[in-house]
Amino acid sequence: MKFFSVTALLLLSLDALSAEIKLNDPKLNEPAPNFAEQNSYGLNIQLSDFIGQPVILEWTNHECPYVARHYGENNMQAVQKAAQEKGFIWLSIISSTPGDQGHVLGDQANELTVSRNASPTHVLLDESGKIGMQYGAKTTPHMFMIDATGVLRYKGAIDDIGRGMKFFDASFNDSVNYISTQLDSVLMSSELKISNTVAYGCSVKYDY
Amino acid sequence: MKNVILVCSLLICSLVAANPVDTGHARASLITNIENSTQESFYVGVRLEMQDGWHTYWENPGDSGGAFEATWTKDEGIIIENVEWPTPVTIPYPPLMTYGYEGDVIFPFKVFRAIDSDLSIVSLKFSFLICADICIPEEAELSIDLSTAKPSLMLEQTIENLPINFLDTKISASDETITIQFQAPKVFSEAYFFPREDGLFNYTSAQDLNQIDGKNFEITIPTLASEIESFSGILRLDEKGYQVKETLEIPTPTMSLFSAIIFALLGGLILNLMPCVFPVISLKVLSFVSMGGDDHAKIRNHALTFVSGVLFTFLLIASILIFIRSSGAMIGWGFQLQSPEIVGVLTLIMLGIGLVLLTDINMAKGLTTIGSNVQSRNDYSGSFFTGVLAVVVASPCTAPFMGAAIGYALLQPSFATLPIFLALGLGFSGPYLALALKPQWISALPKPGAWMEILKQFFAFPMMATALWLMWVFMLQTSGDALIQLLILSLALAISVWMIATFNNAFKWIGLTLTVVAGIQFFTSIPANQIDLDQGASNSGWDVSLESDLQAQNQAYLINFTAAWCITCQANEKTSLGRASVKKYLVDNNIKYIKADWTNRDENITKSLSEYGRSGVPLYVFWKPGMPSSKILPAVLTEAILIRGMQ
Repeated sequence: MKFFSVTALLLLSLDALSAEIKLNDPKLNEPAPNFAEQNSYGLNIQLSDFIGQPVILEWTNHECPYVARHYGENNMQAVQKAAQEKGFIWLSIISSTPGDQGHVLGDQANELTVSRNASPTHVLLDESGKIGMQYGAKTTPHMFMIDATGVLRYKGAIDDIGRGMKFFDASFNDSVNYISTQLDSVLMSSELKISNTVAYGCSVKYDY
Repeated sequence: MKNVILVCSLLICSLVAANPVDTGHARASLITNIENSTQESFYVGVRLEMQDGWHTYWENPGDSGGAFEATWTKDEGIIIENVEWPTPVTIPYPPLMTYGYEGDVIFPFKVFRAIDSDLSIVSLKFSFLICADICIPEEAELSIDLSTAKPSLMLEQTIENLPINFLDTKISASDETITIQFQAPKVFSEAYFFPREDGLFNYTSAQDLNQIDGKNFEITIPTLASEIESFSGILRLDEKGYQVKETLEIPTPTMSLFSAIIFALLGGLILNLMPCVFPVISLKVLSFVSMGGDDHAKIRNHALTFVSGVLFTFLLIASILIFIRSSGAMIGWGFQLQSPEIVGVLTLIMLGIGLVLLTDINMAKGLTTIGSNVQSRNDYSGSFFTGVLAVVVASPCTAPFMGAAIGYALLQPSFATLPIFLALGLGFSGPYLALALKPQWISALPKPGAWMEILKQFFAFPMMATALWLMWVFMLQTSGDALIQLLILSLALAISVWMIATFNNAFKWIGLTLTVVAGIQFFTSIPANQIDLDQGASNSGWDVSLESDLQAQNQAYLINFTAAWCITCQANEKTSLGRASVKKYLVDNNIKYIKADWTNRDENITKSLSEYGRSGVPLYVFWKPGMPSSKILPAVLTEAILIRGMQ
């Protein structure tokens, strides 16, 4: 009897755990939800640390074929540099659960940054998926832009190539990059022409 | 030994046809259902046998993933269409939801081939995402020799189970959900709606299914976008999928009542210049001239009477329209011309006016007294009936200028319909209202004289040309025999007009009798044709769901809603649609050209027109894969406009 009630309790709590995996959908043109997480060097980083500077959030998973192509062809790095030259903070966020695709420890994350010649301001290790769910990150890559006053201005895809196998044949040169083309508007803290798109890529590897 | 042979044959198989191919997590092969070498249309299918736990995606993959790409290599005589997607399943990866296929799936592609072409090898580069909890892009180069391939039963079954049927649905929307009400064609236990367009619906949230009563159910799907204009997808009831395609009746007043009234006013004004109206109107003005520029009160009264005749007729037409509509019949503007009797009568009126103009009957009054025997100078009924007549002769010409306004009017409740028709009438009679206000303007016209006679006679020809055109419409609506009868009647009319003009008393009456007898004989004989007509109309083959069917098949199309009595439609066919370059463009781009002929009444076409907010023709509708919904091309076309519209 006791065994059964314990099992039931366990099942219930499991159920409660899985029910916790719920993606929020942060509202555009309203304050972006704050978060705090360790970066790849073990430092605690908060979004609110960057008030006064515009911020870009990039959900990533280096083993995801979509992400791999964005980095492999130096596309993500180029967008990153362009943004940072305009004063943007770039946070790469890894929400893969331990043991799942794309999950890395701090050292690995730093190695990846060096080997891919990338320059994120911080790589955040969101193992629990907390930030991912807060922002409703569905895919890697999934991009968010926050202006200097902390208002969310963009959520969605990195460019207009979109999902499907066509992504792997399309040229980045022929695509419209929603991030690099709208940096100035975010700098001016104005509403974006294109503010909400459907992100494409691999699913974020939450703990399910 | 047996095994060796098996291996060999497999080897040969893979060497020659590269079929099947192991892609890493799946086995891909190309199959067909062709049964004999004379078939012009058949299917080839890509079979993907995925390892356990792996899946690939539907055209809308849901929250992540993506559809495959297929690149064909084939002979010229073969056309391979886009894939016809089988009904997908939900593949939940909480908190995400994806749509796709697991296990063993076949993607069928319809093939057409020129009958004189040889059956040969078709090859395919098939690249796809295959995912478990991680995704891997894989690829297979496949080929199949159609001349030797055996028909696959599995492919046949896949085709049979394709979601091709449309469900009869009703849609309602709230701020955050869309509810699809449907009648279940069969008993089912589970339902799920797979939205085809991306970014409209929330894939992760649960869809609510409710039984309303008996076979009627509703499924509620949470939305992402605030204003969804149209969407499509597959409703899955257990194993069977049904196509759903909906346009939401968001109150999209493409035109407000105010602008519709402005358009109606302008349209009415322009009507004065139409070839069938201008002569009648001009004669009215000439009659004012002959009254002399001095009697302002009389001119004003005549002008006002004329205007009231015009308004009366417009309101009468509007009332008839509203009445017929309220009784449930599907009619649109131009409905008058869908009845051969009315076209016949109009033909005779046009011809009659032309003859009267030429033969000089009652020159002093001209047409101002048609419909009245009273010859007095103070006869206002003459002016009133000229107003009526002007509207009657104008009706064939209204469509191109007033299509939008009238279309809007007919979709409105009657309190909005009447003001629009009233505005149309006011616009039409605008010049005379101006004249009534400022009768002295008449003196700006040249003095009465011989020029009036010559002008009047000349005006006979546009009237006769209009009659000729109406005869052509009449012929298309009925038959060559009926046309001959109409021509005989026209001859009788001409003789009687001539008699009335030439002789006095007795002969005059003989002439009139002749016309009347011929007329009775004629119009009692039409109903026989009418019966054929109605049968013809019901068989016109226009299918309201044609568009959604074509879209489901990913087939680009151009629909020409036309009618023989619609001048703009005919002009467009000459100047653009009928041109070789346009035809070539349609063929080159695989755009299906469809003509929806509304010359005769056809409820299905009327219904389709009203879905586009139109009540009349012309209407050109174009769609190609990738467009969220079809678009309406301009009503007046040139080659350039048309081709640009389709790019």
